[in-house]
Amino acid sequence: MNALRRHRELERIWGPRPGWRGMLTTVNNNDIGLMFLIVAATFFSIAGVLAMLIRAQLATPESVFVGPEVFNQLFTMHGTIMMFLFAIPLFEGLTIYLLPKMLGTRDLAFPRLSAFGFWCYLFGGSLLIFSMVAGIAPNSGWFMYPPLSSTLGTPGINSDFWLLGITFVEISAISAAVEIVVTILLYRAAGMSLDKMPIFAWYMLIVAVMILTAFPPMILGSILLELERAFGMPFFQVEHGGDSLLWLHLFWLFGHPEVYIIFLPAAGVVSTVLPVMARTTLLGYGWLVAAVAALGVLSFGLWVHHMFTTGIPHMGLAFFSAASTLVAVPTGLQIFAWIGTIWKGRPEMHLPMRWILGFFATFVIGGLTGVMIAMVPFNFQSHDTYFIVAHFHYVLVGGFVFPMIAGIYYWLPHFTGRKRFFRIGETAFWLVFIGFHGTFLLLHWAGLLGMRRRIDHVDAGSGWEGINLISSVGGFVMAMGFALIIIDIGVNVAVASRGPRNPWKAGTLEWAMPAPSGAYNMASIPTVRSRDPLHDDPDLPLRIARGEGYLGTPPASGLRETMMVEMSSGRPSHKIIFPGNSAMPITMAVVTGGLFMGMLLKWYWLVPLSALGVIGMAVWWAWGLGSRRDEGLQDVGNGLALPPGTQSVNPPGWWGSLFTLLADGVMFGSLLFGYAFLFTLAPNWPPPEWLRPEQRDLMLWLGGAVLAFGGIRLADGALRREGTPWPGLLIGLAGLAGLGAAALSVLRGTTHDGHAYEATLWVLGGYVLFHVAVALIMMAFLCVRESFGYLSALRIGEARVVRLWSDYAVAVALLGLGAAWLPGLAP
Amino acid sequence: MNDILRISVPLTVWIAAFSAVYGLQGIVCSDHWGAAGLGLSAARAALVAAWLVAIAIQLGLLLVLQTPRYASPSRWVRWVSVALGIVALISTVWTLLPVVMTSVCI
Amino acid sequence: MVATVTPLALAGCEERLSTVHPAGPAADAIAVLWWVMLIGAAAIFALVAVLLVMAFRRSEEHPGAEADARHERIWIKAMGLGFTLTVLAALTVWGIYIGERLLPRPGPEVVSVGATGAQWTWRFTYADAPGRQTEGVLHIPAGRPVDVGIESADVIHSFWVPRLAGKLDAVPGHTNVLRIQADAPGDYAGLSAEFSGPGYTGHRFTVRAHDEAGWDAFLRGEG
Repeated sequence: MNALRRHRELERIWGPRPGWRGMLTTVNNNDIGLMFLIVAATFFSIAGVLAMLIRAQLATPESVFVGPEVFNQLFTMHGTIMMFLFAIPLFEGLTIYLLPKMLGTRDLAFPRLSAFGFWCYLFGGSLLIFSMVAGIAPNSGWFMYPPLSSTLGTPGINSDFWLLGITFVEISAISAAVEIVVTILLYRAAGMSLDKMPIFAWYMLIVAVMILTAFPPMILGSILLELERAFGMPFFQVEHGGDSLLWLHLFWLFGHPEVYIIFLPAAGVVSTVLPVMARTTLLGYGWLVAAVAALGVLSFGLWVHHMFTTGIPHMGLAFFSAASTLVAVPTGLQIFAWIGTIWKGRPEMHLPMRWILGFFATFVIGGLTGVMIAMVPFNFQSHDTYFIVAHFHYVLVGGFVFPMIAGIYYWLPHFTGRKRFFRIGETAFWLVFIGFHGTFLLLHWAGLLGMRRRIDHVDAGSGWEGINLISSVGGFVMAMGFALIIIDIGVNVAVASRGPRNPWKAGTLEWAMPAPSGAYNMASIPTVRSRDPLHDDPDLPLRIARGEGYLGTPPASGLRETMMVEMSSGRPSHKIIFPGNSAMPITMAVVTGGLFMGMLLKWYWLVPLSALGVIGMAVWWAWGLGSRRDEGLQDVGNGLALPPGTQSVNPPGWWGSLFTLLADGVMFGSLLFGYAFLFTLAPNWPPPEWLRPEQRDLMLWLGGAVLAFGGIRLADGALRREGTPWPGLLIGLAGLAGLGAAALSVLRGTTHDGHAYEATLWVLGGYVLFHVAVALIMMAFLCVRESFGYLSALRIGEARVVRLWSDYAVAVALLGLGAAWLPGLAP
Repeated sequence: MNDILRISVPLTVWIAAFSAVYGLQGIVCSDHWGAAGLGLSAARAALVAAWLVAIAIQLGLLLVLQTPRYASPSRWVRWVSVALGIVALISTVWTLLPVVMTSVCI
Repeated sequence: MVATVTPLALAGCEERLSTVHPAGPAADAIAVLWWVMLIGAAAIFALVAVLLVMAFRRSEEHPGAEADARHERIWIKAMGLGFTLTVLAALTVWGIYIGERLLPRPGPEVVSVGATGAQWTWRFTYADAPGRQTEGVLHIPAGRPVDVGIESADVIHSFWVPRLAGKLDAVPGHTNVLRIQADAPGDYAGLSAEFSGPGYTGHRFTVRAHDEAGWDAFLRGEG
């Protein structure tokens, strides 16, 4: 088979369906990645226009261009869209598009999940845009502090759009994160051990784990605030034992790692692009991996520095002040490693390099002001002033947008297969760079002169009118620059001439394919021996196209074949079949949307209906996987034969479940934290009465846990010995039912809208009940699968997945109900 | 997976210890502490003790990561895991230093 | 009366909210911290800029393992770790030291007042004049430390007099205590510095610092 025929065959197998239906049913990473990028760019433009309106209002003193009601919606939506609908989806889109190529594999681990995530993002984002067009957009700031954002300050529907729309969008962040982690750990080129991964993969691995651990507290916070708004459960109402500080903690537990979640992908782009521009290799690969891992974790110890002025004792503040300065060390290390990389190379001034230098000039200033506001005393003065506004725009625009534009121009030839033709990009760079500093540099000073954030007009005689005029002019210059970039990219996509493959002479695998790449990414899966396989072997692209790697023969079955590797060494371990195009993801997203629409419109009957729909869809989704017979080793080319993925003990679905449960566990941990926080520090505690469990509830609880824990193990063991799993499965089902009954007793024993204690118990009980129900459904699903012959001693993976979820349900039942009953049981 | 654990455990222990000491600080400054008949010097002692325990755990981890039994077979992963062990140790000392530097509850 | 107006006139209208024109010990300490940090940050930025520009000179050295090791020593160990750790450790300790000095510790001179933020007004009470309540204007004695007990009647607000001290939030259900002090008698502009809805921009107040006689008169109900 020659390379062209191989390309056509693979394209037929991996490509989307023809016509517009293709877009709705595609699950291919190239399509999904591009769709993410285009939608994110659209949201960026919308939020950019909002920023222009803000600057128009503040350009002159005493302006009446917009009133406070509109202005509050403007800045709330500007921040919300930029953070949730632009920054995160943009790097997700780039990663979804590039990651399989860089790793030398064919698609992401769960193709249908990427598509589902995209549709959730689009629908949730559209909900927010709709609210804005209708003039009822969220208006209490992107940080949504209650009581202002709750029924007291915002009785209308505005806050509900934020809480529900953003939570809907977060589904896509979580699913993309699971996707990215599992792909990096399990789907790589042969021989790509952890130390040979492209540096971008390390950055994204850490970012994805951060998303899984940072977003759940905010998702929990949003759920609690929505429950307070919809059903009067008083988590944040002080007179009923709630505390608005709880929201601040939950929000910033997310909000601070979020900043690094946004910065690190861009830093990964710098670490990838800079060495190529400097014609050398990255200085200190191992040091950078360690620094990024350190940043990833340290960033979770910073959240209180957004709360320095809330009245926490000085020792508490000092912990976070110290952590905030410490986090600057790995950041500084990266900066110096990059400068050292340029020193050791022979730098060339292409457009991406220009943007990276712009990044240095801007981000370093943002980093230095960041260290300043980490000082508690200075923070007392600068907090909530324009000093902070200037600081984080330096960090986010300088540290995220600039490197991302460098990356987009760097990979543009890869996306389009064309040479950049017009030189609009250089002009655009200078417009944005000068416009940016014109907008924000002097605003630091306005902040120190006492200009607060979020004021809706500038007073005459305040002393900062001039600064604001300059800032507004700068803002419009910057906007022209960004418009020019969008035009430039559009023009280049449309009309530039064909360019050479790998124009930058880079060494990573994404350049080892034609541009634009085929839907299958890798015509055959190569073996790599270093971090720059293309520098080792310049003929590699040709050999991949000729099918000299693994899986080089497109199967007659038309199935999407790829290969899983052992996590540390990169040794091929299993042959995997990916699902094909499907309308399931978009349908599932629509049904999931029903949950959110039901809450938003207060059509509460729609919520359980949609929940049932989601369960049905999930069962249908999972049913199509697996196999009903044991298969032998299968040829993957080059004399290697591998077992099929259905016969893996810990299949990708198990890893996906593990990382989903990591996020879920963080959410549960946040809930317990919230409970302990209210218990310890909230005013108006203790509640009038503690819940005391009856003996029957305690027996159901402990007995159920033992049975559920033992049952699934019995079933697992029996399957492996080729015995019958039925006794174990039935015991497990009984155990879970017992746990469910115990959780129900907590709900029955309390009123949800009484004291915050009771509301918290409701959520704890509900959380346990939900997970027990999930485990029950999965266990029942496993029973059906057993009767249809999907399980065997070799095909144990599904039972392992169910075991994981069942064990998680047992763990949260023990901890959650235990915590709920603890005060009542204590003497 | 073991290599991923080797890389991630020390810093995860740091964040756990950091959050725990912060939580403890919240407790010793709450009404519950006084209600239990404990004063400010007991509060300081508890915080310092927690800090020392956290440092001891980090030292232990750092040693364990270099023993033949728990060290990674890959030289590179071994290097990264030990480097991050040192980072976690420094972080524990640095970020919790305020337990001996500042007043406890104002 | 003259004494009341002078500091305002001296400061000029444009500086009445300025953190870099301090009029009390807390704001003063923070302003010093700011100027030192600004000079340090400017020096570090200049260093980075010079290093970057120099990186573009044609390098003469031959690449190889030895050169890589040397670069790692200079850039990662010396600059990335040594330099950053030293600077940040010093700054952290200094910042905590200043923070300790600003705390509202008890003392014989200390005056206690209460401030309650509401949408969109501030009400003030006085421990030394029970029952006395003012709205929009907080009266304090000049030259004496004043502890403001800050509370909220509805949503979160923040009490901020930029020329006297940093800000502290008014959180429903909590009382936060902020130490302020005005060196000289006069009027000092105060702001609410936490977004609180449509009336936020106009949510302001004034701190009126009296000389000793004026303060006594105020406590007697003659102010």
